[in-house]
Amino acid sequence: MLTTIAQAVVNGLLIGGIYALVSIGVTLIFGVVKIVNFAQGEFVMIAMYISYFLAANYGIDPLVSLAVSMPVLFVVGLLLQHFLIRRVLALGDMPQIFLTFALSLLLVNVALLLFTANYRTVQTPYSDTALQLGVLYVPTAKLIAFMVAMALSALLWVFLHATDLGKAMRAAAQNRDVAMLMGINPDRVFGVAVGVALALAGAAGSLLMPFYPAYPLVGQVFVLMAFVAVVLGTLGNVIGALIASLMMGVAESLGIQFVGADSGLIVVFVMLLLTLALRPNGLFGGWSR
Amino acid sequence: MATTGNATLARRLTRRDFLKKSAGPIATASFGITRKAFAADPVNVGGLYPVTGSFAQIGQGCVNAAKLAVEMVNAAGGIKSLGGAKLNLIVSDVQSDTTVTRTETDRLISGYKLSAIHGAFASALTLIASEVAERAKMPLLTGSSSDQLNSNRRYTFTPFSRASQFALAQLQMSKLVGDTPKVAVIFENTAFGTSTSTGLREQAPGEGVEIVMFEPYSAGLTDAGPLINKVKASGANMLFPVSYLNDLILIIRAIRQTGLKIAINGGSGGFVIPDFYKNVGGVAEGLLGVAHWNHDVNADAQKVNEVYKKRFGEFLFEYAGGVVAQTFMIADALERAASPDPQKVRDALATLDVSSGYAAMGPGGKVKFGPTGKNVYAHPVGVQWQHGDLATVFPKDDARASLMKS
Repeated sequence: MLTTIAQAVVNGLLIGGIYALVSIGVTLIFGVVKIVNFAQGEFVMIAMYISYFLAANYGIDPLVSLAVSMPVLFVVGLLLQHFLIRRVLALGDMPQIFLTFALSLLLVNVALLLFTANYRTVQTPYSDTALQLGVLYVPTAKLIAFMVAMALSALLWVFLHATDLGKAMRAAAQNRDVAMLMGINPDRVFGVAVGVALALAGAAGSLLMPFYPAYPLVGQVFVLMAFVAVVLGTLGNVIGALIASLMMGVAESLGIQFVGADSGLIVVFVMLLLTLALRPNGLFGGWSR
Repeated sequence: MATTGNATLARRLTRRDFLKKSAGPIATASFGITRKAFAADPVNVGGLYPVTGSFAQIGQGCVNAAKLAVEMVNAAGGIKSLGGAKLNLIVSDVQSDTTVTRTETDRLISGYKLSAIHGAFASALTLIASEVAERAKMPLLTGSSSDQLNSNRRYTFTPFSRASQFALAQLQMSKLVGDTPKVAVIFENTAFGTSTSTGLREQAPGEGVEIVMFEPYSAGLTDAGPLINKVKASGANMLFPVSYLNDLILIIRAIRQTGLKIAINGGSGGFVIPDFYKNVGGVAEGLLGVAHWNHDVNADAQKVNEVYKKRFGEFLFEYAGGVVAQTFMIADALERAASPDPQKVRDALATLDVSSGYAAMGPGGKVKFGPTGKNVYAHPVGVQWQHGDLATVFPKDDARASLMKS
């Protein structure tokens, strides 16, 4: 029994790491640029296809192609901010929602057209292996994904707290107008924020590829969890999103184990509803960003 | 509106005419001697397959197989009782769409002097095509497994096992892992998942199969780890996932990752085609399934498979192999009917009784249609992915390879 619980917690933490990469991106864009990016999942999908094609055509390991997908998506983020998001910032909520939602639909359908609806997998030497720690199995590919995800989150935290650009980003997040008065160029800050958020989605995609199939709708699977994590962890709060993602992973896993395999999400959403009722600002409202 | 419709029809007819006219000289060129000896009119056989839309992958394979089969019949001298008449295949794209299937079946029957039709493989499309064919009194052979095709029909013939036989075969296959199989059934909580799994559960006691876990899950898994953790705790040695592909891939991987020794049988479905292996790769190795036909069941099937593989670069899969057999059944019926008249061909199909040759190259090795149009000898086979190929492992009489332990 204890083994089963421990295994469930391990499974939950591991997938929570992936949720974290997606949700940190969403919360970062929301915190800094004040726009909800509904297309975040589709950027995960794009990164998965980048890693898939690099693996299928050139035999490049998805962990190596992380070095391709992250910079590519960072640049895509800069372009996205410069050519699309910047134009709707002054227009209010609706055009912003429509923009990212339309982008999501567009990317899914272009992917369907280009790549068809087939599921594509990459087989790496570590795809089907696991480390055995006593009675617990820790799948290698998921463990690697989890550790890289945590390392990237830590790097992001250092970037936000120790660099001028990071501090400018947090300043812009706290109060855009005052930040501008202090000489911070919002376009530059926003561009970097969107770029970093997409690079994280890119990392998530490449890290998923060794154990998860790529298909055009794959992003939607993860973006739902990411949005719940963002709300649970207080909108705009990077650390909050990280902790909430891990909590959700564990809650889902325990829910599947003890409530029923079709009830994992129920546990997660009960958590969300309770949080909204008791702490409407999320679990980490009032904490520092 | 009417003008546009007519224009389209005219254009289509012209293109068909062109193909027909150009096919003549080509056929004459390749079979010159035979043509001179027997100047019989060709016999038209219709093929209804989706070569565009969501069923296109399988549909295209069926068309390839149909063309190959017609070539084989003609190269062997055509229909001898009709003066060596050649078969002439007329393919129509039903576009994976029920409405198009209805109009195309109609158009094919009224536009050409057909002797018989085969096709549509997908149940939703075949049910429509069969309705239209029944009304037009046109014999239809199909690889579709829907049991509905065997009620109130006179012109529809189903040479292969029925959907109702598949669940039974799947349960019987669990004996492959031992005398007391412990089965875990995990199914997505959709109509498809619920109905399929209920069928399995109801028939399990009759087959002496113990179901130790019966669990629905939310389709669209992010992680199969927790679910497999549960399967592991149940002590099962055989797993029936009733899942679509993405969940299936995650389930298989989670099983490998937890080091769980368990056989996986996915039942019948889209994973017994070459494309499945091409897409998911090594993940498929060892996966069990149920099929109504496989390319290794006998020597004739293997022979056709070699030719098909050389030409199209992939093995002859379930439905495509069935189409080759169906073409030879039609040829056999034409031979005995000695007439291209669809009514006579229908009667000849109803009395078909073959136990050798390409027409009989299915599981069971015999074809004879009962009063419901069902081949009384048909049964499904258990298959397993082994080294990128699909090998028949069940039942014993049909098995061409031993079970690969996973």
